[in-house]
Amino acid sequence: MKKKFALGSFMTRASVPLMFMIICAFCIPLSGLSPSYLINEIVTRMGRNAFLILSLLIPIMAGMGLNFGMTLGAMAGEIGLILVSDWQIVGIPGMVLAMIISVPISVLLGLFCGKILNMAKGREMITSYIMSYFMTGVYQLVVLYMMGSIIPIRHSNIKLPRGYGIRNTVSLLSMRQKLDNLWPVYINGVKIPMVTFIIIALMCLVIVWFRRTKLGQDMRAVGQDMEVARDAGINVERTRILSIIISTVLAGIGMIIYLQNLGNFATYTSHSQIGMFAIAALLVGGASVDKASVGNVFLGVILFHLMFIVAPKAGTAITGDSMIGEYFRVFVSYAVITIALIMYETAKRRNKSMEGQRLMMEQKKEEAK
Amino acid sequence: MKSRKIIIRLLTIAVLVGIAAWMFVIGRGHTVYFDNKPYTSADGTVYESPYQIQVFVGGESAGKLKKGDRGMASCMGQDFYMELHITQEKGGKKTGSGISLKLPYNMDGIILNLPALLGGAPEEEYMSEFIPAAPAATEEDETVITDEFTMPLDE
Repeated sequence: MKKKFALGSFMTRASVPLMFMIICAFCIPLSGLSPSYLINEIVTRMGRNAFLILSLLIPIMAGMGLNFGMTLGAMAGEIGLILVSDWQIVGIPGMVLAMIISVPISVLLGLFCGKILNMAKGREMITSYIMSYFMTGVYQLVVLYMMGSIIPIRHSNIKLPRGYGIRNTVSLLSMRQKLDNLWPVYINGVKIPMVTFIIIALMCLVIVWFRRTKLGQDMRAVGQDMEVARDAGINVERTRILSIIISTVLAGIGMIIYLQNLGNFATYTSHSQIGMFAIAALLVGGASVDKASVGNVFLGVILFHLMFIVAPKAGTAITGDSMIGEYFRVFVSYAVITIALIMYETAKRRNKSMEGQRLMMEQKKEEAK
Repeated sequence: MKSRKIIIRLLTIAVLVGIAAWMFVIGRGHTVYFDNKPYTSADGTVYESPYQIQVFVGGESAGKLKKGDRGMASCMGQDFYMELHITQEKGGKKTGSGISLKLPYNMDGIILNLPALLGGAPEEEYMSEFIPAAPAATEEDETVITDEFTMPLDE
């Protein structure tokens, strides 16, 4: 009986990855893409996205769910890159400088986000989601009106012709794939960006180590039960704020790693897109709102991006229109987040109802005595 | 204990600021333009350009410059080294020379007049700033797209 329950629980947890495996297994042959091309693309996207998705793990550990506020960190990373591009600091030094600039901005935004989320306990995800829209407005105010007028921007290839504000697209050609090309290793034609992968591996080790530190254990305790953690002497509010700050800082650094791979970015939309896709990828990897691991990150990147790569081609093969595949991959991103949130709420209600029934049984037993 | 914490935090900030300053210096990018054009200095000295100069920067060819040609290369930092393979006359023998220069930090684009440089002219003669022409403003340039639903803000 116990074994059957465990299998059922596993099936529930693995339903999203299994669904994606089936979609990919169906779409890969239809797409007609070669295995070497697919592996190359997956390796590239792994290096590009993994760090960003890893930044989501710590708030989940602290019971704050999926941090839609990671877009705040992404904005900080973008501000760093805009300034560095204008100062003409190129290559790896440009990336490092952009990261250093993004850290204090991320800390401030994370502090602000954490404080707000402490006022909305139990509704962290929707609050952080709406807050990301609010902060996008603030970001637009800074980038569109303050840069060039108050914050000096010299170069006309970044600045709008009217004299202030940043153009729709910022070119990062001077640092494009500099990190990836620092030590590339080619295996059967597949390029492996070793330095990027080493950084990601180090980040994974840091997360595993962090779970065992005092702060990490405090976060896990807060994530399990805030009241019990408070009774145990843990400063719950501070711990929650710290988890959001760490996540925001990592998201800022992750965004810079992501954008150096692409070589340019859409100034006003990149951050909102990346937040949605990072969260969707983590959920596709089998994570839930209250439980996520490093393994979920990598499985998520593989499955989600495999679907991203093959869907347009498969759409073309089935319907003759590649746009169907494009629509498919966008709606699947939103659908998977919706499914994960429904599953989380259902499980929470089921657990509550089971707990209620257990208490009722105990009460009946006591009354019978 | 508290003062130790403050010291560690201040040290961390100082290290980060130090790294940022270092990156600021070593990461400064420049675009260097090489002109193989005859040059007449302020005192009337004429530096004639050779038939061809091949420029190598970082081991890669930045162009074979015939008389009147311009080549370019991107570089990082202020220490600049290039190798020049010079052919004085058509069919003549190539001679090679390595040249190290200190690039000015404040210039994004730098024009080097190679005949003046090879002729021993002072720095202010062979080196000048490249100022790109500002791109013409278009309607499209001014339309800023601020969300995925392509809703222009500045309409």
